Amino acid sequence: MSVQIKTLNDIVCPPDEARSPLSTQEYFVNMGPQHPIAHGSLRLVLRLDGETVRAVIPVPGFVHRGLEKMAESLNPRQIIHLTDRMDYLSALMNNWAVSRLVERAAGIATNDRIETIRTLMAELQRLQSHVLWWGVLGMDLGAFTAFLYGFREREIISRIFEDTIGARLTMNYIQPGGLMFDIHPDFVKKVKALLAYLRPIIEEYETLLSGNVILQERLRNVGILAPEKAVSLGCTGPVLRASGVPYDLRKLEPYGMYGKVEFDVVVGTVGDCWDRYYVRMEEMRQSMRIVEQLIDSIPEGPHMTTKFAARIKIPEGTYYGHLETARGVLGIFLVSDGKSDLPYRIHFRSPNFNNLWAITAIAPGWRIADIIAIQSSLDLVIPDIDR
Amino acid sequence: MGLMTDRLPGLVERIPGGQILVTSIDAVLNWSRSNSLWPLAFGTKCCAIEMLMATGAAHQDLSRFGAEVARQSPRQADMMVVAGAIVKKMAPRMRMLYEQMAEPRYVIATGSCAISGGPFMYNSYSIVRGVDEVVPVDVYVPGCPPRPEAFFWGLMMLQKMIKQGESIARPGLRRKPVLAALPQGIAMEDIREEIRGLLEADNVIDVEKEAHNKVWADKVKVWMAKHLYKP
Amino acid sequence: MDGEALVQAVIGLGLGAEKREKADRPAVRVPADKLATAMKRLREDEALAFDMLLDHTAIDWLAAGTFELVYNLYSTVHGHYLMVAATVPRARPVVPTVSGLWDAAHWQEREVFDLFGVEYDGHPDLRRLFLEDDWQGFPLRKDYTDEDMLRLPK
Repeated sequence: MSVQIKTLNDIVCPPDEARSPLSTQEYFVNMGPQHPIAHGSLRLVLRLDGETVRAVIPVPGFVHRGLEKMAESLNPRQIIHLTDRMDYLSALMNNWAVSRLVERAAGIATNDRIETIRTLMAELQRLQSHVLWWGVLGMDLGAFTAFLYGFREREIISRIFEDTIGARLTMNYIQPGGLMFDIHPDFVKKVKALLAYLRPIIEEYETLLSGNVILQERLRNVGILAPEKAVSLGCTGPVLRASGVPYDLRKLEPYGMYGKVEFDVVVGTVGDCWDRYYVRMEEMRQSMRIVEQLIDSIPEGPHMTTKFAARIKIPEGTYYGHLETARGVLGIFLVSDGKSDLPYRIHFRSPNFNNLWAITAIAPGWRIADIIAIQSSLDLVIPDIDR
Repeated sequence: MGLMTDRLPGLVERIPGGQILVTSIDAVLNWSRSNSLWPLAFGTKCCAIEMLMATGAAHQDLSRFGAEVARQSPRQADMMVVAGAIVKKMAPRMRMLYEQMAEPRYVIATGSCAISGGPFMYNSYSIVRGVDEVVPVDVYVPGCPPRPEAFFWGLMMLQKMIKQGESIARPGLRRKPVLAALPQGIAMEDIREEIRGLLEADNVIDVEKEAHNKVWADKVKVWMAKHLYKP
Repeated sequence: MDGEALVQAVIGLGLGAEKREKADRPAVRVPADKLATAMKRLREDEALAFDMLLDHTAIDWLAAGTFELVYNLYSTVHGHYLMVAATVPRARPVVPTVSGLWDAAHWQEREVFDLFGVEYDGHPDLRRLFLEDDWQGFPLRKDYTDEDMLRLPK
């Protein structure tokens, strides 16, 4: 039995040192925590041979705030406020994950109105997140115009959220037992206007970027991730679906109103960057389809089934609940000792954590510019990795 | 925008405390500095989406303030917008970035994480409680995340501070940091005089003393000696 | 396979597994020294075929003096979930690694090492993940003290 504990310096060292793993032509370059495509603060140490990448060593932890330790002294409603700040581009879905688990553990029931509004909000947030991803992908690959177009649509959805929720980014809206506020009177009208506006816009995006020969050259057959490798790495979400595995929790274990609407699960064939790109474009269309089916028939009812001030008692035991956010499966593992309303241990299974490590499997053999395309297509949000 | 109409340079401002913007060249330089602040895009978390990306985009346009050219290299930037929480692992790097910026340089701390540690102030073992422990801050913009309009309010306040700030005779002398929280229900005109008073009061700070915050400068030296290998 | 049948099937494999109570999904407890063989069997058995490690984490039971390591497994072939728990003493928390079976374990185990101090025998690259390499202590342990930490006043 031998356990060897290493440090980063053991791995990253100059070629002329005796213990160096490099041949004399290779060198380490730091894509440090502050660089244009960081998507947050992620450090990638690249082992390069000329311009070809031989290995990628991601060093996360630059936004590690210790959420799991903090959550041990917060009750479930307060934890929801923390989950907003993990994967902030799917904040409502993060809230829903915790709410759903706590409701199942404590035996709190919801009604159809609450579930319909939650599903609508989650799909609108998925649209918002993918639109931002599209804009940022364009910006990373050099097409800054895409960024402005993407944010133009994102602002419209942000304003719809702001009318109802009050916040544009960190929502804190879906609570165990219902919703923080009831929807704004103009919500249905604005969402319908949004759908009518957005459909031709997505087609415009296709013309603008997808058909562009430079984008095709940079994304097609670049960074192929085989399905067995993707499953072994624990990747979920569009990354896994682009590799050909149809794992979508909305279809496999329907929650909310997903069991009652029709939509397709978008699956890729090759598993390259282009598949990951196109899976998300098509998911935007599927999200609009879901919103269209639900928006006209929101049932009546109260928006909250328990009082806010009530303490939520979770019986002793371990619980695991998950749902599909814009980037993959967010799982919440909750351990309660039954003595108070604070969790004994809570662990967030974040989708971006596993998707990040896919880059160590995909990147070797490609050039530096391809790393940027690969990282953009993986769509990482770094605070979710670091929690 | 018409909210804070600035008078054109050339007018001499008499400031209590004995300082006068002596020449109109100072005024011109300060005017041009404040209207072309190039931000260093230093966003770690959620505030980056709102403060750096959404303000740069179409609906709220940062380029009308001259600050559109967000540089990735600190050598080319003069304003560091700290958008996001800073943890202990990141703090020496942030200090290094700050020290690489050329003077005159300014720091806007946006969001509650950068001001005080924010939602992570309690029970977090790795957060730095407030970015002013690492770099000297000029303007604090509260919010979680602040609206883009609130960020513009802070930016305009920084512009005002710059215009009434340094002079050729005494470079590097700046105003005390200001909290740029827009109060509710109060019109711009009401508080314009109050802001002018705050900025013009006799409360200059010695940048030499503050900017070389000894605690973190020492920590950065130790970290750099350990982690940057010598060729 | 549904929950109860799955647990019985796993117990029936003769790996020393027993049912783990008070979990909301099928859960078994495996002794720590038999963990490597048990996991290999769970992955390769055709009726079980757990090819995805969704999550790996640890629970610090301070009162009992143990760490409980939890593995959440999923099978894309059959669509069933299993939670596997293994207990190690707090004084000497060493377990064999499963990073040869699932790539995800490579980094999940590094995270547990970083935050709890559990050591994985046979791990190819056991380093701290989130915290600096020279950080003292393991923050997610219940008896972790840090004078820099600010406690929420009651």
